[in-house]
Amino acid sequence: MTAAPELPVVDVEEIRRVMEDYFARGWTDGLPVMPVTGSVLAEFLAQTTRDPDEVLMAMPHLNRECTVRLAAINAAMAGCLPDYFPVVLAAWSALQSEGYVPRAIWQSTTGTAAMLLVNGPIRERIGVNGAGNVFGSGFRANATIGRAIRLTAINTFGLRPGELDQATQGNPAKYSACVAENEEQSPWPAFHVEHGFDPQASTVTAMTMRSVAHIEARHTQVPEQLALDIAGTISRTGALIHETISACIALGPEHAALFARAGWSKDDLRRFVYEHAFNTRERLVAVGKDAVSGKTRWRLSSAHSEAVPDTVADQDEVRVLGSERAVEIIVAGAHNAGVSAVIETFGPRGGPPAIARVEPAP
Amino acid sequence: MLERAGVPAVSICTDAFMVPARAMADVLGYPDFEFVTIPHPIASLTPTEIETTVRQAIGDVVRILTSPIGGSAAPDGGAL
Repeated sequence: MTAAPELPVVDVEEIRRVMEDYFARGWTDGLPVMPVTGSVLAEFLAQTTRDPDEVLMAMPHLNRECTVRLAAINAAMAGCLPDYFPVVLAAWSALQSEGYVPRAIWQSTTGTAAMLLVNGPIRERIGVNGAGNVFGSGFRANATIGRAIRLTAINTFGLRPGELDQATQGNPAKYSACVAENEEQSPWPAFHVEHGFDPQASTVTAMTMRSVAHIEARHTQVPEQLALDIAGTISRTGALIHETISACIALGPEHAALFARAGWSKDDLRRFVYEHAFNTRERLVAVGKDAVSGKTRWRLSSAHSEAVPDTVADQDEVRVLGSERAVEIIVAGAHNAGVSAVIETFGPRGGPPAIARVEPAP
Repeated sequence: MLERAGVPAVSICTDAFMVPARAMADVLGYPDFEFVTIPHPIASLTPTEIETTVRQAIGDVVRILTSPIGGSAAPDGGAL
């Protein structure tokens, strides 16, 4: 016989009353939020030396801005522990430098979400999952850090669905999308190290994502076959709104090991995918995306009155990536099956990724 | 924004965007801002269909352009 667990003694009706009040005020993504008091807020603000009034993100077209204090309130409401807050702050820095968010992408019909990648020792310290079920549920840090960003979008910037958020469908990552890299099971330097950070630094990388496309490839030991499967996933015509796209390949550890065993570096994979992620001209004609608009540069049919040739009109194989740098590579997931994913990011890209250092708590 | 600078302007949006358009007008301090609405969608219309839509909307466009800005007298009269 084991003793009955000691249960906290609380007035459940009081808790429900507070929860329902938050719902009634619209301060939620649809799930219950944690109540926040001044003392709770103080615990979060104690995790940083930054001024509570410092602006982290401004949206001038809405006359609204997110300060350190507002970010902390929403992080607490999202269910973060105070020691997650430095990661949330780094996420805002990364989103600021990523560039699409202050330019109103979260209001767009495309329905993008922030995808956050955490690297470095902070992963272990606060428990950000980068292994099994990496894009799924079950891990407080992953669930609440991503949710802190979304609740801020709703509560601070007022981006409520059907009002200032015009997403046609949105995507599930609008609840939360925060993953760690599985650095321990990656054959290559960690993502932040690849981009010049010290291995002992902790970082957050921000991407604007549209979807996560799943890749099944349990059948092969041949790196070219696997890379073609990945390239085929990236090049789907439905992803094309602009002339070219960008992507982040999230390799399962088994797939990463397959490439490494064959002697491929990340750059080798990047180059191969860049060269093989293409559509034939005939295929683009078939879906009516064989030209671009002279006004918006969005893809459309060459029969359209606004149509001008795309930049490779003389070629029959039309690459979907503008450069090798438009594809990033991370390792994530469990080492248990030949499964990977393509995170479809927004915009043509090609520049360095938006990475911010996590500043340790004082 | 143009009207704040004294330039007559009119915003045209499809009916699918009326709620966000109204929300943006509120945020920018123009709760009574008047829009011309046209049927959704437009991105996939043919030039002929676009012309039909424009012909249906042009009366409202002219009416709003020639009305006083923000409900008060426009600095330059706003007449076309």
